[in-house]
Amino acid sequence: MNRGDGETDRRRRFGDLCESLRPDLLRFAWWLGRDRGLAEDVVQESMLRAWKSFDALADERKAKAWLLTIVRREFARSFEKKRLELSDVDALVAAESAVLAAPEDDRVGLMREEIFRLDAEYREPLVLQVLMGYSTQEIADMMGIQQGAVLTRLFRARARLRQQLGLAPQHEA
Amino acid sequence: MMTCLEFRRRIGAEPFAADAAIEAHRRECVSCARHQDELRAMDGLIQRALEINPPPRESAAAPAPPRAWRPRFFAIAASLVAGVAVALIVLVAVPRAAIAREVVNHVLHEPDATGGAASLPPAAVAAVLDPSGMRLGHGAGAVSFAESCVFDGQVVPHLVVQRPEGPVTVLVLAHRSISRPIRFAEQGYVGVVLPAPRGAIAVVGQDVADLDAVAQQVFDAVEWGK
Repeated sequence: MNRGDGETDRRRRFGDLCESLRPDLLRFAWWLGRDRGLAEDVVQESMLRAWKSFDALADERKAKAWLLTIVRREFARSFEKKRLELSDVDALVAAESAVLAAPEDDRVGLMREEIFRLDAEYREPLVLQVLMGYSTQEIADMMGIQQGAVLTRLFRARARLRQQLGLAPQHEA
Repeated sequence: MMTCLEFRRRIGAEPFAADAAIEAHRRECVSCARHQDELRAMDGLIQRALEINPPPRESAAAPAPPRAWRPRFFAIAASLVAGVAVALIVLVAVPRAAIAREVVNHVLHEPDATGGAASLPPAAVAAVLDPSGMRLGHGAGAVSFAESCVFDGQVVPHLVVQRPEGPVTVLVLAHRSISRPIRFAEQGYVGVVLPAPRGAIAVVGQDVADLDAVAQQVFDAVEWGK
């Protein structure tokens, strides 16, 4: 295979990955940052970084976790820049009302807003577990924390949601 | 034997846990089994809540409702006019702003690309363009930077061409269709995106006199292939 063929193949494989995984990356970035513009910027920057280090991805079956980790890092960088802008959760709820709306089912809309209002330390592992399907050990690896800490955060996240939605006694949270 | 507290802590974190200890406790404790069922049901709701599709930030624009004190016919007419105006803005201005911003952001992301003026060997340029089936003729000018970059989730050729008017960045956007040229000036850059036989081509520079002419010469030098 000459260099041109190799480059073509590399581009095709990366393009396929981007096409298939971009919706999940956008969802993840949105749940992290709770801002459409920020999510788009983070995913775009993440894909640039991913392309530059694409050769470091030894097993493409692990591409999703690899890209999610890049999105996490990129979000952390972006969040540092925008920290002060993202402190008012009520303003964020109002700004993202179009995404939060679930006209087909009120319960989904209520749950969406309560997840949106969760602290990031609870929201992120919940997204990785329920939406992305990762085990608690995999989440611990991605977040760089102990598995026990992930279990605690997930427990508290659900307890908080149950409390906010009136499904649990006050003491549970 | 797992206690109720241990069981609830575990399934509070992992509602679908189903190992031997969990199953044994479920059989022994009806209340805990019901609690796990409730958590599993709630996880279904959580999953549906998480499955959002963030729309592009520009698509959130909507016409404002007419003010209540206006006569009804006037309100309807005003809202129709407002609706048409917003539609025009969304159809015309938003794609224009979006692609301009994306192009400039991409150029800003690679500040080193325009740093060197030394020409690359033709083979290096061809390696970047070959996957797209394109060639760049001599009429464009000397190429000092050629890389495959990610733009809008697609891998695209990113070139810097040294022109007498100054260096210009060229992005070949085969995946973006536009119907007419889009000119912009943002963040110190001037640029134009031209409709091309395959998608579009963006030409961007700083302090480049007559960018349109430069862009047209670059455009004419591209052999688009099949």
